[in-house]
Amino acid sequence: MPTVRLRDASEYPEPARRLFELSRQWFDYDFKEPPAMSRVMAWDPHFGGPHGRAMKRAMAPGEFSRGEKEMVAAAVSGANACTY
Amino acid sequence: MTGDDRWYEAAFVVGITNALNVVADGLAGAAMRPVEPTTATADVREVFTDIRAFYGRGDQARGGGEIPTPFAIIAHDPAYLADVWAAVKRAFTERRLTRRHKTALAFAVSLTTRSAFGTAFHLGELRRLGVGERGVMEIIGVTQMFSSYTKIADTLQLHSDMADIAPVDRSGVPDSGTG
Repeated sequence: MPTVRLRDASEYPEPARRLFELSRQWFDYDFKEPPAMSRVMAWDPHFGGPHGRAMKRAMAPGEFSRGEKEMVAAAVSGANACTY
Repeated sequence: MTGDDRWYEAAFVVGITNALNVVADGLAGAAMRPVEPTTATADVREVFTDIRAFYGRGDQARGGGEIPTPFAIIAHDPAYLADVWAAVKRAFTERRLTRRHKTALAFAVSLTTRSAFGTAFHLGELRRLGVGERGVMEIIGVTQMFSSYTKIADTLQLHSDMADIAPVDRSGVPDSGTG
């Protein structure tokens, strides 16, 4: 059970909801509700905005592809014993 | 990255990387000396030669050929060394995932687990395999950002909402003899 009540997208103010559209584009998937982490980050766009931009910079294709980096991210999450 | 074979390969790399790091870092301050190539038995020297070749290390006769710490330590048991090395070599050999991608995984996991040995070793390997500073920074960035996401998720005890959207691989178990 999450520590906080995750709000539905409709409960967020309009500027925060723009982050959800970016999230949908990033994952290229139509979620019923935005992913939990997207909703967490949208709680404070002044934190979630730059954090998300840093993540996108790190994940952008460069010397390694987006797919290779997604696997690295999964390995890091595993090493951190995080199931999310 | 669809196809379970890639994920099995990644998991084996992560696991065996952690195994090497545990020995190298855990025994760093212990009174356990690594086996010196010059005094090693013939079977250990044979494995050491293979290790040098795999990691592109120089010829011992020409002043190179240093054996990575975890292998030199476990060489006190030659049969055990041979088996561990066979597993390491198999895990890191290029198959569905490239050697540089596997090394990037090993570097990221070593960095995440604060392994001084693994971080330095796999950083050196990344560079040897031709990954530039930009590429290294990319892996550092992914490692850092997902070390943030994971702790935020854990603190809030979030449930994964993306685990079910990945396609399922219905293929069977491959014949390991086909590589």
